Amino acid sequence: MSTQHGQDAKFFQRGKIEEFRAELQAAEAKDKKFQKRKTVLKKIVANITMGNDMSPLFHDVIQCIGTPLLEIKKMVYLFLVSYGRSKPDQIHLVIPSFLQDCNDRNPLIRALAIRTMSYIPIPVVTEALTDQLRHCLKDRDPYVRKTAAICVAKVYTADPRKAERKGFVELLRDMLIDENATVVSNAVAALSEIGDRQDGVIFKLNLTIANKLLSALGESSEWGQIYILDSLLRYVPEQHADAEMMAERVIVQLQHANSAVVLTTIKVLLYLMNYMGDRRLIDYICRKMGPPLVTLLSSGPEVQYVALRNILLIIQRRPTVLKNDVKAFFCKYNDPIYVKLAKLEIMYRLAREENAREVLAELEEYASEVDVDFVRKAVRSIGRLAIKVEPAADKCIESLLKLIETKVTYVVQEAVIVTKDIFRRYPGKYEGIIPKICENLDALDEPEAKAAMVWILGQFADKIDNAEELLDDLVYSFLDEPAEVQLAHLTAVVKLFIYKSQSEVTKALVHKVLKWATEDIDNPDLRDRGFMYWRMLAMNPAVAAEIVLAEKPAITTDSDRMDRGALDQLLLHTGTLGSIYHKNPETFIRNAAGRALIDSPALNTNSRAVLVSLARPQLPPMAISVSGPGPVEPTRPPQPSEATNNVPLPTIMESSRSDERDLLDVEGDDGAGGDSGEGYPEGDDDGPVTKAADPYASLGGAFGGYVTDVPQPVTGGSRGGDLDDLLL
Amino acid sequence: MAIDGLIILDPTGRPIIQSSYTTYPAAYPLLHIEALNNALAKAPREGSVDPVIYVGELSCSSACCHVEVGGMRFLATISGDVDPLIAFAFLDAFIEILQDYFGVVSVATLKDNFDIVYQLLEETLDSSGHPLTTSPNLLSDIVLSPSLISKLLASVSPATPGVPSVRQGGSFGSNGASGAFTSPIPWRKAGVRHNHNEILFDVVEEMRGIVGKNGTTLVSNVFGKIESNSKLSGTPDLTLTFTNPNVMTDCAFHPCVRLQKWTRDNALSFVPPEGRFILADYQYRPPQSALVSNVPIPLSLKANMDMGEFGGTFALTLTSRLIKVMENLELKFYLGEDATSAQCTLSSAGSSVGSVGSADGSWSFNSRTKMLQWEILNMRSSGSWILRGSWTSKIKAPRPAHAFQIHFEIPSYSFSSLKVDQLRLSSETYKMYKGVRMRSKGSIEWRW
Repeated sequence: MSTQHGQDAKFFQRGKIEEFRAELQAAEAKDKKFQKRKTVLKKIVANITMGNDMSPLFHDVIQCIGTPLLEIKKMVYLFLVSYGRSKPDQIHLVIPSFLQDCNDRNPLIRALAIRTMSYIPIPVVTEALTDQLRHCLKDRDPYVRKTAAICVAKVYTADPRKAERKGFVELLRDMLIDENATVVSNAVAALSEIGDRQDGVIFKLNLTIANKLLSALGESSEWGQIYILDSLLRYVPEQHADAEMMAERVIVQLQHANSAVVLTTIKVLLYLMNYMGDRRLIDYICRKMGPPLVTLLSSGPEVQYVALRNILLIIQRRPTVLKNDVKAFFCKYNDPIYVKLAKLEIMYRLAREENAREVLAELEEYASEVDVDFVRKAVRSIGRLAIKVEPAADKCIESLLKLIETKVTYVVQEAVIVTKDIFRRYPGKYEGIIPKICENLDALDEPEAKAAMVWILGQFADKIDNAEELLDDLVYSFLDEPAEVQLAHLTAVVKLFIYKSQSEVTKALVHKVLKWATEDIDNPDLRDRGFMYWRMLAMNPAVAAEIVLAEKPAITTDSDRMDRGALDQLLLHTGTLGSIYHKNPETFIRNAAGRALIDSPALNTNSRAVLVSLARPQLPPMAISVSGPGPVEPTRPPQPSEATNNVPLPTIMESSRSDERDLLDVEGDDGAGGDSGEGYPEGDDDGPVTKAADPYASLGGAFGGYVTDVPQPVTGGSRGGDLDDLLL
Repeated sequence: MAIDGLIILDPTGRPIIQSSYTTYPAAYPLLHIEALNNALAKAPREGSVDPVIYVGELSCSSACCHVEVGGMRFLATISGDVDPLIAFAFLDAFIEILQDYFGVVSVATLKDNFDIVYQLLEETLDSSGHPLTTSPNLLSDIVLSPSLISKLLASVSPATPGVPSVRQGGSFGSNGASGAFTSPIPWRKAGVRHNHNEILFDVVEEMRGIVGKNGTTLVSNVFGKIESNSKLSGTPDLTLTFTNPNVMTDCAFHPCVRLQKWTRDNALSFVPPEGRFILADYQYRPPQSALVSNVPIPLSLKANMDMGEFGGTFALTLTSRLIKVMENLELKFYLGEDATSAQCTLSSAGSSVGSVGSADGSWSFNSRTKMLQWEILNMRSSGSWILRGSWTSKIKAPRPAHAFQIHFEIPSYSFSSLKVDQLRLSSETYKMYKGVRMRSKGSIEWRW
């Protein structure tokens, strides 16, 4: 083996086309055991893998296709996969060989042939493939059948309507009851791929087929299991009992060694729970889901990251999962930063009165670390903890004060920002610490922190003896400040004036700021608010006081969670990109089909109340195209773009509706506006959802644009589509 | 539900091998390579790049999942709403296969064997991105490993131990592969023959813990793994039982294990794949009766830290709490970005320690990583080991890590005292050799 080393590495040198051509021609004579050809082809393939264009050799390479040596055949096919599509005028030369190989005795070669053909979306090839593929779908060798199943998805991509006319979808559907588990799972994969297309046949499962798939689960490879499990989301239980039975059969997969299988299983369970009636079973499943999730955390950091982002979603919807496992999320010093940040967020979500002390101790620990980002989030989390868990608030404040004493700039700034929110949450309780905070005025240089500080000075101007002095100092740089700080200043001086209208300093100050705001500033928000204050103060200071100092609704962290309906929908994407970014995939992935819970008599009422209905957007199906730098491949496949896009949804539906309805149910939605799902308490998620949880929703104009008033932790769940209320 | 393709980048960020992105424009893989390289270049330090990078600037939107192996980056691109875990699980499986085939995964081995890597890629990842067969048992039939090829070429060299006798009917003959896929058991090929039948189990337990400032254990978890190496002929149906199966909680099993049997009888019933595989993962939790849910940490550390200006001094005392000997103990301490040098002296104290143990321990300071490392090869049960020293820093108020990272190994020991009761073979008549070994290791974060 070591003797080959140097030699093989040479293949990586950029090859010369002519040289290869000459070598190939030379190899035709006296090629003992085809060794020469093999060597040349190896060089050519090496160049392909490096991205060098070897297409000029097309004619020479296909001469070797008849060589009776599998290795050579493989390499020629590899070449064809790479360049076949770019040679529509020469591809017919290969077709006889393709057809011959499709009927070879060796199943590997049969499979190789149809696989390669399906990658070349040129009409002659597709035409030739159609018949062969139909045979191969019924081949006696499972390896050929499973390869053929995937090929159908390819053929479908090339021309959906034609594939439907040729009956491939039905053939694929028949494979769902194949005796070989690998074939079944590949058929499922292909059907799912087709079903995920916006112009594809809708792939739904009924109870019988779902059960059949479940029995194939045990014998499938881990990848097959993933396909099968994922396809279960296409089954809509009609009765509680169906969902429960299915969950019981799926739950053993939580013990699988493959992390992707585990997470897919959890996704299925979360989905099925929406259709269950038995509270105890739901609780049981929730308990069962915790440990495998924790086990995922013993994997590499990449898997941990994906797991953590998903856990974050899961515990918002099912808080009982991992309720007692906050310790599993304690950060280690040498965790990668992305893991730490994800853990931090989960620790905050899991914090309750019972574990608040431990969590706080950890957060304090993190606040002394080196990484600036992490420290900031840790400090902020301490404040959020104070807001979330009332009994822990005292301790949190203590710890924030200690942090402020460190005088580390970014720590102080974060602490000031969260302190503002704490004042809002517990009015009249902690104002005693204001002097402490005021000592650090000079340390503040970030807009958010400055604005928070100014808000505190204004709001509590009556309790701070030298408020006018401090504000006067700060206002010095008013014109250079960013808008959010200017707005904070404006409101703060007005409050100050209302508290201390007798003071000459105050009068001068408010006059100065109002004048600036209305005359020197271009920002219309600022100007308008300046005018508004000015008039109010001029016309009726008493009313102004009432408005400006109106009692503010206390903030809570209840609205801190995502909207229930959005959560339900996102959880259908557990483990996928959508769950990493906490966005529905159709909003940021082109061509992604959205998922939504589908109503059925078994769907529980709370889920139905927040049901998000999903419209299948009629977008033209398009291949992903990248108009980036670098050469764009000249001939894109004749994708089913404009020509086919407006064909009304699958014609195949008709046929499958009529004949085999039990296999592929294509009903869009059910008409039964089910009312049999009785309302039982969902102790799990705080009962019915309060849609308008945003405490600021009603405030409208008064503090509307007052950026600093929006407390960081409380981004209302109900604000349209803004799901990024997370620290990350 | 599919991975677009896989790209392997060398340490400089240039592609070595990539799967054929046939249905994508030529720029598609390049775009992801660029996105990853940019992210890596921008990262303030190693390991801080998100493992899933979203590539959405242009008209495509996709993500690139990447892991680092031997200086190289393996990246899998996914578009559409795909589970990144599939990408990572696939990358892991693929890297494991490469290790199986080449021993070491490095730029050199991959370049030398690119044709094999390419074949493997073709067989494991369908060009439409569906992971296919990743079971090494089946792959070895379709793609010959370099050692087998050289064996075929040399043809006279003695059989390599560890490589099962693959049926080589005409090397790539007409029925070469069908055996792999007609096998009724997806993870095991049919018709394996060994002259000497044996199966070995290695129980490896790893403790991961965090100890707080005041010396109390905050978290300590023990994760166990049963690694197996099977060389058995035919279709052996095995049943493995334990005297104390209840110490294993939250198990995860190799697909070969019959889950129902485990749920019912707490016995592992399985037909093993050939060669190495991980039979089970589990977590060990101490019995419910105890108030403390933590597994006790087998050593203790006393740290006297004194932070000064431009540096500091420390005295660390390590003591073992175990009867067994701990091996390869390693303590790491990050001294902060601005650390310049460190000076230490080693000593040991205690009853049975004869000489002042310079032979047992050593320390070093890596000025590039700013890591102070203390190693003790053999740590006996009694006595204590002491490291005293000081370090200097460029800045006035140095910011070293507030935690030590301690790693250790304990041979022939398990935290859970898991014990195999017996291993029964049915469906085959031959005698087999069986072996079980225990091994433990730990990685503890000790804060100060």
